Amino acid sequence: AAGAGPAAAQQPVVIKMATLVPEGSSWHLIIKEMADKWKTVSGGRVVVRLYAGGVAGDDADVVRKMHLGTLNAGVLTEVGLAEIDRSVLALSVPLMFSSYDEVDYALEKMRSGLEAKMAAKGFVTLAWLDGGWSHIFAQKPVAVPDDLKPLKLYTPSGDPGAVEVYKAAGFNPVPLPTTELSTALQTGLVSAVQIPPQVAVITQYYTHAKYMTDLNWLLLLGATVIDKATWEKIPADVRPALLEAARDAGRRLRADVRQNGESAVEAMKKRGLVVVPVDARARELWRRAVENAYPRVRAQVVPSDAFDEALRHRDEFRKRSPGAARGQ
Amino acid sequence: MTAATGSPDDGGLPVIGGRPAPGARAAAAASGAGGWVARCEDAVLVAALALATVVPLIDALGRPLGGFHIPGSALYVQQLTLWLAFVGGLAATRLGAHLTLSTSQLFPEGSLARRAARLAALSVAAAVVAVLAYASAVLVAGSRQEGHVLPGGLPEWVSECVMPVALGLMALRFAWGAGESWRGRAVAVAAVGLAFACGAVPGHAGALVWPLALLVVAAALLGAPVFVGMGGLALVLFFADGTPVAGVSAEVYRLIASPTLPAIPLLTAAGYVLAESGASSRLVRFFRALFGGMPGGMAVMVAAVCALFTTFTGGSGVTIIALGGLVYPMLREDGYPEGFSLGLVTAAGSLGLLFPPSLPVVLYSVVASSSQQLSVPAESLYLAGLVPGLLLVVLVALYGIHVGRKAATREAEPFSWREVARSLWAAKWELLLPVFVIVLFASGVASMVETAAAACAYAVIVECFVAGDIPLRRLPGVLLRASALMGAVLLLLSVAMGLTGYLVVAQIPDLVLSWVKIHIHSQMVFLLALNVLLLVLGSVLEIYSAIIILAPLVAPIGVAFGVDPIHLGVIFLANLELGFLFPPVGLNLFLSSSRFGQPLPRLYRHVLPFLAILGVGVLLITYLPSMSLGILKLFGR
Ligand code: NA
Ligand code: NA
Repeated sequence: AAGAGPAAAQQPVVIKMATLVPEGSSWHLIIKEMADKWKTVSGGRVVVRLYAGGVAGDDADVVRKMHLGTLNAGVLTEVGLAEIDRSVLALSVPLMFSSYDEVDYALEKMRSGLEAKMAAKGFVTLAWLDGGWSHIFAQKPVAVPDDLKPLKLYTPSGDPGAVEVYKAAGFNPVPLPTTELSTALQTGLVSAVQIPPQVAVITQYYTHAKYMTDLNWLLLLGATVIDKATWEKIPADVRPALLEAARDAGRRLRADVRQNGESAVEAMKKRGLVVVPVDARARELWRRAVENAYPRVRAQVVPSDAFDEALRHRDEFRKRSPGAARGQ
Repeated sequence: MTAATGSPDDGGLPVIGGRPAPGARAAAAASGAGGWVARCEDAVLVAALALATVVPLIDALGRPLGGFHIPGSALYVQQLTLWLAFVGGLAATRLGAHLTLSTSQLFPEGSLARRAARLAALSVAAAVVAVLAYASAVLVAGSRQEGHVLPGGLPEWVSECVMPVALGLMALRFAWGAGESWRGRAVAVAAVGLAFACGAVPGHAGALVWPLALLVVAAALLGAPVFVGMGGLALVLFFADGTPVAGVSAEVYRLIASPTLPAIPLLTAAGYVLAESGASSRLVRFFRALFGGMPGGMAVMVAAVCALFTTFTGGSGVTIIALGGLVYPMLREDGYPEGFSLGLVTAAGSLGLLFPPSLPVVLYSVVASSSQQLSVPAESLYLAGLVPGLLLVVLVALYGIHVGRKAATREAEPFSWREVARSLWAAKWELLLPVFVIVLFASGVASMVETAAAACAYAVIVECFVAGDIPLRRLPGVLLRASALMGAVLLLLSVAMGLTGYLVVAQIPDLVLSWVKIHIHSQMVFLLALNVLLLVLGSVLEIYSAIIILAPLVAPIGVAFGVDPIHLGVIFLANLELGFLFPPVGLNLFLSSSRFGQPLPRLYRHVLPFLAILGVGVLLITYLPSMSLGILKLFGR
């Protein structure tokens, strides 16, 4: 390292960034533009190598590789973020929030705390983003909780705690690896799954689960993160511009989701998707079923301090703007 | 080139022909010194295999009974697979079951040249495996930092320690086998030291790449296991890229711990149990009764059964391991030439990739549909692949009939319904196995891994208790030999994943495809180039990585050239089916070489006719889109 001085200053910092976002999708385009922007605003001192579509592995693999230094950054879903620190799951508890405004409010309040926890594990959070509301997609119409109970509900096999919670609430979870989900929907091993509409279009899962429940189940949260050592290798004068580019990409992703979520549903409807309405009475049944499970969620899935904090912020928001709580 | 087998006093591996790997004897001597290590290995392997079978079964059985299941069972099965791969790989080192290119046998036994070759090969092997052990240790340290705990309280990193520990012992075994005296072994230890010294000197990666890569390749040519060659190359390339070599172990872990992978060892074990029982002779009897009068009947049957099997093993190469030992003796007993029989079993090992419920089709559909403009539903692909898939099976079967006619296969026996019924009854349990598996999976009762576990349990129960071919006391031995082969195969697949990981990191597939985009302008030329590209890359890459890396890049270009996306999918998968056979490194060639103890160059010769026939099939599939799309039109899609 002794002779590295001036030569190293000429060498650009290469950032290997991975994401599950599929190559060629509108989300991928936004991330790619961010990567290009990093190069231009840094005057070529930062170069991003982007690995999209999960070629570098799923989110757990990406986090592992960031620990090892073979990858430096990632646009991760909450599954990957939870690999770093589970507190983030507090913002993805089913039916805890009912609108973007509510989640946005709670996230804004909890952001610095969450980012500090990530920083303690060696990760710098550059921007928050989301993939839209997950809905229940099922092979039979699901309007009330009792409709879901006989169905085989997909749950990721990496999270045994969540499986136990669903079971205790009377549902029938089938823990499976993501890689088996598609086949399982076709063979009927799984008959219900929770995903955002745009993901349903991308993966075509909806062709095997064509009843979508009109209920904002949970928000699929994500974030762009970079490992601290790499971030600190970037010249300090460049960092604010990179941060701004990342935040801008996050904003554009959110805008894309908010604008195109609806059109994804419309596109699926033309190809046979049926949207199952949920009336006020049914909504109350869902709320009760899920809230009964909250003590277990708090004990087994989400760190309890984060869970309580998220709930407190939500209630605060609902008190401040009582009209918004009922809204979709 | 020879796939090495165990020495006779170990019982060896049930492979045909082959010789002990260089150093196998010395390694065995070493294990004599630490015999308890070997006994521990054996016990761990048999226990891990038994647990990996029972745990998924409890989930599958419990689901209809009120959803009873073992919390986090999938996580446990993943860890068990990790143990099977690495302890199995360690046992394979002891039993000499790793695939090797043992050109050192060209030198006379006991000659100086031969001892020098062994010393060089196994010193490099010790060095490479030691660096892999270090890379795994770094991985485990990272995992410890992540702090995952398995349900029940066992930290994941504790279980993952099996990687560095087994690799470390493996490196010791290689070092021990490098020479018969302490002087030789000291050379191996020095090689290990040098390898670490290379890594410790920064800034010289560029200058060291070529010498190191050549050294690794030379070692593989002189008789170091192939997995050492591939793993060594991956390490060198990561090193040259300036990426921590722990990246290789991350890729190894990613593959071995991927949730569907346990299906491979489980189905392998099922196949092994069948192969060691009287199943093959019962099936021979049945099919002889059925096809005895028809020339080429046995070859037709082999093509059909392998195609059927591949639909649920998903082109992971398991078909050859599980069925090869079963149908190869049948072909030989029926009088088919050795070369044709080997070629057929090797080629048939990936037939059926296009039929439901084959996983690669599903994966292609998911990956290719990931761009917003494209939709490639899996069931459309299955429908479109029906005729092309059948075409490939029929082409192979026709060739089989042709050879069966020409060669003096067994005298035609008079057809007898009585014998058919009797032999059917005798072989009923074996014949029901594929039915059992397909029904279990296709009905949605069980997942892939659960189905594989059920197949394994079924095979054990039938052959140990119902047919009684394998006495219970012999069962651990059978499972142990299956585990050593599994370990060898899993290690090979996982270091291949390390190489793939490098290709991804260096963005090589992107570079190749951007070149194609610039230089090709007509659909005809594009399709031909696609055929060639997929053939070559399909043989180098493991099928799932090939799909994951190439499908999202190829699919949009195909659209740009006016190729129907469904048709493109069928071309893509049919090509990968052929890639399995493509010399020098198609997966089926390796597996067949290992399973039957055949040198690779001989296999190249034997698969050539099949490669030509299937090549014609793939060209027909490529340039006659109506074959794929006609049936879709019939169904009004
Ligand atoms: Na994984
Ligand atoms: Na799509």
